[in-house]
Formats: sequence, C-alpha cells, structure tokens
Amino acid sequence: MHGRGGQGAVTASRIIATAAYEEGKYSQAIPMYGTERRGAPLTAYVRIDDVRVRERELVHTPGISLCFDPLLSLQQAVANDLLPNGQVLLNAPFAPDKSELAGNINIATVDATSIALETLGRPITNTAMLGAFAKATGVVKLESIEKAIKKYFPGRLGDMNIAAVRKSYEKVSPWVPAKNKVAPKMQVDLNVGGYGTLKDVSSWRVFYPVVNEEKCIGCKTCWIFCPEAALEWKANNKPAMVDRACKGCGVCANECPVKAIEMKRVEI
Amino acid sequence: MDEMVLVPGSTCQGCGAAMAARLTFKVLGPNLIRHGIPCCPDHVSKHPRAGSVFEAGGSSLTGTSRALKALGRTDIKAVAFYGDGGTYDIGFQALSAAAERNENILVITKDNEAYMNTGGQRSGGTPKYAETTTNPVGPKSRGKGEPKKNIPMIFAAHYVPYIATASVAFPEDLMQKVKYAKDIEGFRMILIQAPCPVGWRFDPAKTIELARAGVQAGVWPLYEIEHGTSFKLNYKPKELKPVSEYLKPQSRFRHMTEAEVNEVQGNVTTNWARLLKADEMKTVVL
Repeated sequence: MHGRGGQGAVTASRIIATAAYEEGKYSQAIPMYGTERRGAPLTAYVRIDDVRVRERELVHTPGISLCFDPLLSLQQAVANDLLPNGQVLLNAPFAPDKSELAGNINIATVDATSIALETLGRPITNTAMLGAFAKATGVVKLESIEKAIKKYFPGRLGDMNIAAVRKSYEKVSPWVPAKNKVAPKMQVDLNVGGYGTLKDVSSWRVFYPVVNEEKCIGCKTCWIFCPEAALEWKANNKPAMVDRACKGCGVCANECPVKAIEMKRVEI
Repeated sequence: MDEMVLVPGSTCQGCGAAMAARLTFKVLGPNLIRHGIPCCPDHVSKHPRAGSVFEAGGSSLTGTSRALKALGRTDIKAVAFYGDGGTYDIGFQALSAAAERNENILVITKDNEAYMNTGGQRSGGTPKYAETTTNPVGPKSRGKGEPKKNIPMIFAAHYVPYIATASVAFPEDLMQKVKYAKDIEGFRMILIQAPCPVGWRFDPAKTIELARAGVQAGVWPLYEIEHGTSFKLNYKPKELKPVSEYLKPQSRFRHMTEAEVNEVQGNVTTNWARLLKADEMKTVVL
C-alpha cells in the first residue's frame, strides 16, 4: 500500500485486515516505521491468509499494490516487486490503459480523490479506495469492509466514509494488463520513511497556489508566512511559487489580505 | 537577510515550527552552531548542527559555548533549536542548570504542545483538556487533566538576562525579539508557539490564523522578562477575544463542554489581569 501521510494508508491497512478477520481469515496490518509526516510518501502492508500467519516481517513481494495518491500513481516504484500477474489498483483520474506503469501486472484505476472530495470534503482517499479494492480484487466483501469502518469511525463520520466506499465500489474500472512489460531503468525513489533532506516536494501537493497578479498589492504577507520559503519575488513585485519547494499547505491563500491567491487542484 | 533554512524543508504541510525556524534563522544569520535534540523539524537550517540526547540539551550547548569562548570566536553564537519536550520535561534539568550558571547561550523553543515527532504524546507543554495519543478522550477521561507548565516564568525565576514569548503569527515581534536576544551576554530564551496541523488536528492553511487567535484570546500572551524582574507585555489588545475562537478549530478540543470552555476562559482572564498588572508596574513578582 502506497500513500502519503494524512491520506490514511495505515488506517486503510487496518480496516482491510479487520475486514478479513471478520470473514474468518487470518490477517496482519503492518505500518512501515519512519518519519511519518503529513504529505510524505509512506507504505503500509497487509497480509491475509486462510491459515495462521506466523511471518512477522514486511511484505516484500506483494500480490496486490494499492496506491492512494494520484501523483504517486505515476511512479513505477508502486508496481515494482509484485508477484507475476500482480494487481495494481491506482487512485488516478484516467483509464487504466493510459497508465505508463510497466511489468507483468494488471492495472485498475479509480478517481478516489474526487470521490473523497465529494463525500468527505477533504482529500483523504483511504476509504474511497477500499470500495474499489473490495470490488476489483474480491479479497474481502463490501459488507465486511463497512463493518470494519464502523468499528474505526463511529457515528456520522462512519456513514460518510461508507458512502465513499459504496461510490468507489461502483466506479472502479476493470483490470487491464500493462502496456509495457519492461520497467524503465531510471526510476524515482519514493524515499519511504526516509530521514534527511529532500530535494523536490512538488509531488506532495493536492492543491497549489495561483496568484492573481491584478488583485495582488505586493504586501509580501504570503512571503513572510510561507513555512517553506516556497515563494519567490519576481521583478514586477509579485510573488511566484517555487515549484520544487511548495507543499500546497494553503497558508499563503488563507493569509492574503486581498485574497489574490487561489488554491487550485493539481491536474494530472 | 538570507534564507538560512533548507528549501524545501522536511516538515509537514503548513508546519508552524518550520515557520518559526525560518524567521528565527533569517535574523540570526550564518554565524552560529545550531544544537538540536530529537524534535521535528530536525533538519531545518544550513548551519553546522550538533545533535545530542534529550537530557543533555543544556549541557552540550554549554560545552559548545565554552569551547567557542576558549577559541576566542565570540562572533559565533551557540544556539539551540529545541522542541517543548526538550524544554518543558526531559531536557528541563540540564537547561535549568545552564540557566542557573548563566551560560552564554540562546535557546529557541518552538512549542507545539506535545511530542509531535513521535506521534503526538502528551508533554508538559500540553494544555488542559487537549486530547493526545496518550490522553485519549473516553468515558473516564477528558483529555489531559493538568494545566500547561508556565515555563517562561519558571526560567525567568532563574534571574537570567532575557526571556521572551513569541508567536509565528506576529513575525515582526518575533524577529525583533530574536535580534535583541542575539547580542546579549548570558542565558536567553525565546519561546515560540508553533501550531502543529497534524497534532492539533486542523486544516494546514489555518496555521497562522490559529496562532493569531491564540495570542488575541490571551491563551499565549507575548511578553519579555529581563533579569527575572523587568516585565513588558508586547501585545495588549483593548479587549481579548473569546477563547472559543482559538479552541473551536482544533479537533483536539472538540470534546469540550461549555462548562470546560468557561473554565479555560476564566483561567485565561485571571492570568491576563495578572499580566496587565505586572505590565503596569513594569515588574513581575516571582
């Protein structure tokens, strides 16, 4: 399971494991330990079997890979190390035959970010992926997923999440074999659970700031409050986003006194 | 002033601590050795960094400061960038000892009110009724039961040259305080409230809005104390805003009943009256 901090990949792994347990199977949910920051790539693992599982380590060659983030869905790393004929379920707005992922794999897609924004109002895509997971893979039933969600999210939040699950159950695409069989040599490391300095966080964003230069009065409020120093000052006294540094938090848009900055959804 | 922070930083979206680091190190400039103890964000600036364990924050900083003095490099400052865990609880003993010896160090604390690096466990800086991973709200628990430690006053009671509180929502005030503290001889400390969108559970875009609401409600007053006596309140609105404006956007307080909000409001109002009185007398009785 590949996701970003704050998208609920770890919770999703628990929900799937609980749902499998409800069906009388043996299951494990294992989060990868590291610096879990909101927005940073992370992985979580689930192991399901009919007999008792004595193995206790991370899953290195999974049969199914789930990707919770539309920008991570473009990275080959989410489809690597799969078993032959492995299944890759992507959160992406495009059809599976448009995906560039390579290998002996089958790909299905669902636009979970849109579903999450419609039902939950926030881009937390975990439950919006789970319905698609139940339909596409058939590992667990929809009812047991809903049962498990009620356990983790009681009350109104649970109902909203179940609505997201049902919607994605309907919307998921069928499996399509990958176009390319050989993976490219040049690959981006997802830096999962990594410490240290980063060079590029442009893939962290769900929304990005767009400056309306006619409205902007050049007061530099956005520049002062930007946590990442991700706004640079252009010659015409207007701000511009530094592409590799902006994480899309929205502080600049919120603090702008004349509301000249608008947060737009990243298009893929 | 150059940007001294790493771009992009390694923090979450909308991190208050990253904002605090950016503003602080912009003022302090390149000539310093930064000490860090486990806190988030750890990798914030381009300065040479000396890491240490939580308990030894104050003592290792003392070592650096004395070594610089022995080498005659008075142009280089020993600066700490610690979290609230390293100041309020685990690192308190060594820092208190360093303050008592009046070592020539500058301690910058960014207070995000819990151990956010490890998943949001309670610390001495966590306010009353806040829900943390070690204070979950349940039938018999209402979040943290104890009030926040008044650490600026505790350090002021060491009679050190300079103690100040600041907030990321008031960058001019923060930067002025850092500039003033930079060239003072002796122990000085600046506590910066840095909202944490993940731990406090609010929308990352509202980081500054929330920090500002905290100051305007009197929950995090901005003041300076010199030599443990002379007191100055830097931000004095004519009327405080209600604390509910600060508490409401944060999901860690969402279980609070009206009576509990009123209790917090009462405490804040009493404390504010005391601070106003101290400001009028220009001195604080410790």
